[in-house]
Amino acid sequence: MKRYIPVALFALAAFVTPYSVNRVFLHTGIERKMGTVQKIFYFHVPLAWIMMALAVTCGIAAMIQLRRQSRLAEATSIAAGELVLITGLGVLITGPIWGHATWGRAWTWDARQVSTGLLWLIFAAFVLLRRYGAGGSDRLAAALAIFGAIDVPIIYYAVKIWKTTHPTTDVVGSLPPQMWNALWPCLIALVAMSIGLLLVRIRQEQGAMALDDAWIAFDERGAGKRGEVGDA
Amino acid sequence: MTGRARIPIASGLARREGLGFHSGGFAAAASPARSCYNRAVVPLLRQAWLLARNDLRQELRDLELVLTAAFFTVVVLVMFALAFAALPASAHVLAVPGMLWLGVAFAGALTLTRIFDREREADTLRALLTWPVDRVAIYFGKLLVSLSIVLGCGALLMPALALLFPAAQALVARPLESALLLLLGSLAYCAVGTLFAAGLATASGKNVLISVILYPLTSPALIFALVSTRALLEDHPQFPTYLGQLAAVDAVVVVLGAWLFEPVLLGGARKPAAGPSSRTRSRRGEAT
Repeated sequence: MKRYIPVALFALAAFVTPYSVNRVFLHTGIERKMGTVQKIFYFHVPLAWIMMALAVTCGIAAMIQLRRQSRLAEATSIAAGELVLITGLGVLITGPIWGHATWGRAWTWDARQVSTGLLWLIFAAFVLLRRYGAGGSDRLAAALAIFGAIDVPIIYYAVKIWKTTHPTTDVVGSLPPQMWNALWPCLIALVAMSIGLLLVRIRQEQGAMALDDAWIAFDERGAGKRGEVGDA
Repeated sequence: MTGRARIPIASGLARREGLGFHSGGFAAAASPARSCYNRAVVPLLRQAWLLARNDLRQELRDLELVLTAAFFTVVVLVMFALAFAALPASAHVLAVPGMLWLGVAFAGALTLTRIFDREREADTLRALLTWPVDRVAIYFGKLLVSLSIVLGCGALLMPALALLFPAAQALVARPLESALLLLLGSLAYCAVGTLFAAGLATASGKNVLISVILYPLTSPALIFALVSTRALLEDHPQFPTYLGQLAAVDAVVVVLGAWLFEPVLLGGARKPAAGPSSRTRSRRGEAT
């Protein structure tokens, strides 16, 4: 049953995505100031929310991994950390496109831009550490994820006060309520897709761990047998 | 023995160190909070100081880390001076905080890569972990050592910047504020760095990863330090507020670092402790 949950989520995403595109591009008015480029908002904002949720998930899973030595938590933190990188890349690509049309500059050192960029860097470090760290770096990566999740609000606040001393841009105006209605199908599609990918990646990581354990057990048993022969 | 099993000898050491007086008697009768402070905090601080003193004494004998960090700071300073001396004077006030904290960050990364090296080279980290002290005391001891060296580098940077850039005069003209700012900024940096340096010390030969980890993670503290330094240079009325915010960040990272130190260094009961990717690699290494 469990293995069909990601399939169901992907199916939901496949069904909702065309509907959301249809709704965003054909049934929602064009914003007066920004024009068609504002449509990127419907994909940018859900991606940013998902990225934040995944960063927090990764931090909590890492905390459980460190305290309880849970394999499920470890697999979840790896999967969520990698997905933060992917969704973050989406946010960091769509954001400057939208910013270019709204503020006239792609990168304005806005508090949210900088905090997203730094969050992405922290999770890039997490993935690098998981991939290239030597033995024992799983614990270190978990600590990194916890620090990363806690750093998010601090970074945001830090950049905000930094901006207070260096004001350069104004903030994008609020949107009419009917435009928010087109946001929900996009959000559902992207959330379904992300959770589906997360579950698949968790399962993959658990499979890799089980395989490693089987290899180690096999090697140890082989070594034990060789040792017995040698002793005899 | 599982990694999680803590050796509850902190109080024993306290007795051996002649600190038993603090843990009972009048203090306990006076107030429970004070008794708790005397029983837990005083021995911890004493243990941390003993460990730090040992490291500092070794360092003072050969000055390896102090001299290399100081020389590196001077090199970084010369590079900055060459790169930014041509800037108009009005831009110096913006550039000086960046130069100061990047200098501290670079010298700090160099220090932190070496801070556990003695332990690793002499294979004494295990001995240190089996020593009858609270593990948090090891963290605070190492933090004290790295902080001392980074503060030394900062003490070199601040007057040198004031000498090179007239906009940085306030760093020398207001020594108390400057010293406090340097202390708070360096503390946040070293608190994060010591934790990850400890973790990497157990992972053989991967110390290079500390720069990958350290710079993104310490960015909030460095941003607060930048803001405070600029406020100091401009004589901004909100300088004490920014300093207070930096102190709050310090409190968060020091508590988090102390809390995570033991799990990061020792891990839990599960064996082998290595992650799946490293296990895969080691398995492949054996196979080839």
